[in-house]
Amino acid sequence: MIEVKELRKQFGAVAAVDGVTFTAPSGAITGLLGPNGAGKTTTIRMLGSLIDIGSGTIKIDGVDVGREPENARLVCGILTDARGLYPRLTARENIRYYAQIRGVDSSRSEATINRFVEWLDMKEIINRRTEGFSQGERMKVAIARALVHEPSTVVLDEPTNGLDVMTTRALRQLIKRLRAEGRTVMFSSHIMQEVAALCDEIVIIARGKVSAQGTTDALLAQSGAENLEDAFVRLAGIEEEAPSAEETFA
Amino acid sequence: MNTTNQKNVANRLPSRLQTIFTVARKELIDHIRDKRTIIMVFLLSIALGPLILMGLGFFISNMESKAERREIFVQGQEHAPELMNFLQRQDFRVMTPKADFRALVEAGKHDAVLVIPKDFSQKLLQGEAKLELVYDDTRQGSSSMTVRPIRNAVRAFNAELASQRLIARGVAPGVLQSIELTDTNLGSASARAAGLLWIIPWVTLFGCVAGAMAMAIDLVAGERERGSLEPILMNPISRDALVVGKALALSVYSLSIALLTLLGFALMLKYGNLPSIGTVLSLSAAQYAGFIIMVATFAPAMTVLMMALGTYGRNFKEGQTYANYFLQVIAMMPFITLIGDIKDATWQLFVPMMAQLMVVTRLLRGESVDFMHYAIPAAINVAIFVGAVVLITRLLRNEKIIFGRA
Repeated sequence: MIEVKELRKQFGAVAAVDGVTFTAPSGAITGLLGPNGAGKTTTIRMLGSLIDIGSGTIKIDGVDVGREPENARLVCGILTDARGLYPRLTARENIRYYAQIRGVDSSRSEATINRFVEWLDMKEIINRRTEGFSQGERMKVAIARALVHEPSTVVLDEPTNGLDVMTTRALRQLIKRLRAEGRTVMFSSHIMQEVAALCDEIVIIARGKVSAQGTTDALLAQSGAENLEDAFVRLAGIEEEAPSAEETFA
Repeated sequence: MNTTNQKNVANRLPSRLQTIFTVARKELIDHIRDKRTIIMVFLLSIALGPLILMGLGFFISNMESKAERREIFVQGQEHAPELMNFLQRQDFRVMTPKADFRALVEAGKHDAVLVIPKDFSQKLLQGEAKLELVYDDTRQGSSSMTVRPIRNAVRAFNAELASQRLIARGVAPGVLQSIELTDTNLGSASARAAGLLWIIPWVTLFGCVAGAMAMAIDLVAGERERGSLEPILMNPISRDALVVGKALALSVYSLSIALLTLLGFALMLKYGNLPSIGTVLSLSAAQYAGFIIMVATFAPAMTVLMMALGTYGRNFKEGQTYANYFLQVIAMMPFITLIGDIKDATWQLFVPMMAQLMVVTRLLRGESVDFMHYAIPAAINVAIFVGAVVLITRLLRNEKIIFGRA
């Protein structure tokens, strides 16, 4: 379970995250939905204690990320938008390296890697060097690498960005599978259809603030919109901004 | 996954030492697979020794043959039959210089030339004869090396002439010359070549830093540019273990380059059949060991320092720029001591590169090397290594460094 309370982060004069509060329960998929620049990536970076928490608290399975960053990193697997692989290592070696760093014993990590090979259809690429991999192939390796220690909490930052249909499908299935295993799954996206199709719980975030949280139905009811796209636009407050922008340019 | 399962994961977290080895192993495998770079660096390293020794050998035998040759270039030989006669009696081979010898001497392409004016014989009788010696001592060309025999020959001719005139007047020559100075030059050509022995440690030390430059920058700056720094820091890995692991891999790589260069020298010295080098340089196992001790702390310290400089760079290219300036400073070190005419001062032991050059050159010359010669540079290098690791670790806590400076 991820519990975020009153999270804030300031970069210079810009409040990237400005009082975000939400809960992502175990055994469920939570979508972090928001336009570009809403503060999704900054929130996720703080979850992974990659940057200092400005103020507020994050707890992952009860572990306070601000106080015990290394323990928090133990229980979660996070995929941020930086997905660089080592081009001279094979896909398997890339994944294995993270398993070794995390101290997963080799028989267990090899079994996990083989499971990912099957789930994400990586048979052809697993023993090839990652140099020249397509974006989808790189993404598959990056996901397997981030989850090789079988974390109880999985956080994926815009995982379907730039992926083809088949890879996206495989990824969706993986996300559902992780939920079925009882893990906490959270992913961010700016694509409504994807969030609607997968998520049990949606957190809409805009301009560093949570503007709504709930199930798809609850959000529809709250916004009075007929579909999620309209609900998103209304709840994220994008609609109000558009005319004013037009006025400025007029 | 339940809570007990998580505890298991936590318990199995590797020790810091295991993490360091995991990181070092991965980095070495990763960089060794960069086959083109590796082959170039390793081949160059092992070829460097033989090339330098061949050059040095050529230089020495050239100097020796010039000294033995007793050749003198004289312009206007016909104006001084007495002097020509004298030179021939002294076993000199008198040769006519090329027409544009002045320009050639200036360009370092001609030996020194003795120029005899037309009225030489006439003035000689009046005791006012003048000769001109054309050479250029600003360059290490052939003219500066051939000046001395000409000077000596003219002086000897002068002395002979004076004694003949004194004898003709019934005076013993000893009256004029109460002191006779005999030259006994112990500095043989090979001893002069020994002054060039610093080149051997210089190329070895410079080579092991320069050869590891690409890796040093790639380890952090390259990792960030590739976008693999952020994900690795998401692991429960301590940043210092990560940095030490990388530093360890870099040290191993850099030391391999140094040892290969040294191996090149050793093989060439043993099997290269270079007689002229043999008189100057023959190394014992103890001397090799001393050399290796000096490199053992130098290579890690300098390359990790370069890695720290690379970390400041926003990307690989910028890191490379900083590292290049650093390399230049290292390359310049011997010239500071040469120009400043500094001879084995104790303070040199505190300056990396200067210290190694000094101590290894002493070793090669067969001069005494004591404990402090090893201990001081090693202590300095350890301090630099630790300082650089701490600095990189700190930089990796800096958000601006991890994500690239905006």
